[in-house]
Amino acid sequence: MTVQLKGKREAITIRWIPKYTFLERAGHWLHTATFVPLALTGMILFFPFLQPLAQGPAGQFFRLVHRIAAVLFGLIPIVYFIIQPRRLLMNIREFLFDKEDIGWLKNAFGYYVLGRHGIMPPQGRFNTGEKMNGLIMMAAWVLLGLSGLIMWFAKGVLPSGLFQAMVIIHDVMMIISVCMLLVHLYLAIAHPLMWAGLVSMRFGVTSAEYAAEHHAKWYYGPKRAMELYEAQKRQAAGTEH
Amino acid sequence: MSRVAMLIDESKCTACRGCQVACKQWNDLQGWEYSHTRNRGSYENPPDLSPQTWTRIRFNEYEGPDGFRWLFLKEGCMHCGDPACVAVCPTGALKKQPNGLVSFEKDLCNGCGYCTQFCPFHIPRLEVANPLTGEAKSSKCVFCQDRVSNNLLPACVKTCPAKALDFGDRDEMIAKGKARVQALLERGYSEANLYGENLVGGLGRLYVLIAPPEAYGLPANPQYPASAAFWQKIVQPLGSVAFGAAILGIIGAFFVIRRNIRMEEVQ
Repeated sequence: MTVQLKGKREAITIRWIPKYTFLERAGHWLHTATFVPLALTGMILFFPFLQPLAQGPAGQFFRLVHRIAAVLFGLIPIVYFIIQPRRLLMNIREFLFDKEDIGWLKNAFGYYVLGRHGIMPPQGRFNTGEKMNGLIMMAAWVLLGLSGLIMWFAKGVLPSGLFQAMVIIHDVMMIISVCMLLVHLYLAIAHPLMWAGLVSMRFGVTSAEYAAEHHAKWYYGPKRAMELYEAQKRQAAGTEH
Repeated sequence: MSRVAMLIDESKCTACRGCQVACKQWNDLQGWEYSHTRNRGSYENPPDLSPQTWTRIRFNEYEGPDGFRWLFLKEGCMHCGDPACVAVCPTGALKKQPNGLVSFEKDLCNGCGYCTQFCPFHIPRLEVANPLTGEAKSSKCVFCQDRVSNNLLPACVKTCPAKALDFGDRDEMIAKGKARVQALLERGYSEANLYGENLVGGLGRLYVLIAPPEAYGLPANPQYPASAAFWQKIVQPLGSVAFGAAILGIIGAFFVIRRNIRMEEVQ
């Protein structure tokens, strides 16, 4: 595809390659569509300044919305697992950390906040930040789901100490996952250099050039990516001296 | 305004349960539990506090130094000086009034049930209309707020034929309770004690007991739940700080990188 960028005279050619399957994208957006209402309606019972919204029939309504959204939120990965069990397990494995992630974390501040063009260790289809987002969301699914189910169905049945612990777990997990969501949202829609993620999540494709630079282990395969990374590092060291 | 309290002299209670009836009558509570009575091996009825039963006489069977006897306990909201239910209530339906009374405004309640789970005495009860949608209303004894604020005694106190119930200025009630305990000790009730003077910020419901609190099924040392304090005093402020920091950090990071990119373009 040839694109004419604003303010640039010459057109550039983008070669699109597939990145996310339809189900991955559907899962992502359904997750968004349920998580956001869950966070918003949940905060009504959490923040004292939202008290007017928590009162009486309004509070009752938001609690009902929270429960409906919670059921859908819980079902998404289960339905995904039923349709494509191997793909889900593959996705979970993709989120697990390896040794390149440490290097990424060390350089992330300079790269994403200060905009330095450092050499980042090669990344798979998900980079370390996306992995962190994925891991926290998986923990959120398990912990928010479990604590929520206990609060929903075991209130007054199981000891109140257990309910109290579930309230704390639910709140702490909410704080962590909403903070992660805010950062994720920023990188996806506002960060000046990160245009590609949102395109991939909307249309399922990414630019080959971008993939080679940012997701080398996925684009080239781990072996070739490491060779290129070592070469890059040697070159950088050579120019410095 | 000084605190009010109810003084319940369990050495005088005859378990006539006039207080239960007066409570239902004044507060317009249903008596459906009475038509569902089953023999459970005890004279107490109904079997537990409920959304429609704010006070109840518990029949404790006690094997004391003088052999078997009943210990009657008039159960109900303790109106704690430091009420956890008020702290965890997200709606403000539960409030601590200047006179120390823990009031409940049913219209504001959304049925979340936190008060039922954080009360150290397990007093508030949830009237669940639909367990699936969570439609519910909490309820508990409010010391007949409408009567008390019009200088009338709570319905149960007014009706008690044994004069086991008293209501008024808290310091006065404590003095009366202590005097009664002294009198009971002199008469040979060696385990007589006053319950609630300093518990959970000082209870608004004081008991003169003739046996240890545990024998009545009362917690000897009830505590303001640590989880409620942790939640309200640490997790909630931490949540505000975390969201604030995340949003400010993101805005800051956006301007930093935009500036750095422009600088680079200029160079």
